[in-house]
Amino acid sequence: MKILIADDSKVMRQIVLRTMRQAGFGHHDFVEAVDGAEALDKVAAEAPDLVLSDWNMPNKTGIELLRALRGSGNTVPFGFVTSEGSEDMRATAATAGAMFLIAKPFTAEHFESALSEMLG
Amino acid sequence: MTISSAPDQALVLAAIEQVWGSMLFATAEAWPSDRAADFETGVQAQIELRGDWNGRLVLTCDSDVATQIAGAMLGLGPEEELPELDIHDAVGEVLNVVGGSVKGALVGTWALGLPGVSETTGAPARDESFVVSWGDAPVYVQIVPDAA
Repeated sequence: MKILIADDSKVMRQIVLRTMRQAGFGHHDFVEAVDGAEALDKVAAEAPDLVLSDWNMPNKTGIELLRALRGSGNTVPFGFVTSEGSEDMRATAATAGAMFLIAKPFTAEHFESALSEMLG
Repeated sequence: MTISSAPDQALVLAAIEQVWGSMLFATAEAWPSDRAADFETGVQAQIELRGDWNGRLVLTCDSDVATQIAGAMLGLGPEEELPELDIHDAVGEVLNVVGGSVKGALVGTWALGLPGVSETTGAPARDESFVVSWGDAPVYVQIVPDAA
């Protein structure tokens, strides 16, 4: 499977990738985007099987990205990996079509729990 | 974590302790008020918080501490080097996660900005900050309301 990691922090993209490997998902292919706008372009160009996105990004936020995808009919599985995990944000994410929201700081167990059914 | 209507020292310290422990595998403790906490060249990260209270959280540390924080975050060995841009990115992301945790503990509707990071010379004033430890070094934290 191809997984798109969208986060404006290069360090955080590296940590998400490392944590995915620790969770046993390192054999998948990964592509990266530096903000929501680039992620939208890369979803179109790369056709990932899963998007892991930060919420708070310049140019286009994660929730704007998700709404743009769903608004154009794209149903790619989508999860947030974000520093904010309030109940309001979880509800907003779910309503917009997100599968899950993992709050930072996170562990490999959080990724396993959210993704093992989908990624095996 | 307690629930508050505006960020205060206890709330921010609790967030820092959580982030130090879970992201950086370190312990944050209050820095003794009678212990010197000076440095000459440092890194300062800021992030805005908007809601019933408006202002920003500011984290300032020595450049070597910033390098160590970035290394801890990425799980690097002591010999591995990082470009300055990545060090700033890491310190900003640490404050971003602290800010997210603080925001989550506040009552009401809040918005968190994007972190900004810059070089700084000298430590902030002690009476305008609280200081926590990174190993044997100080990290300054400020809760700065917008000017009235």
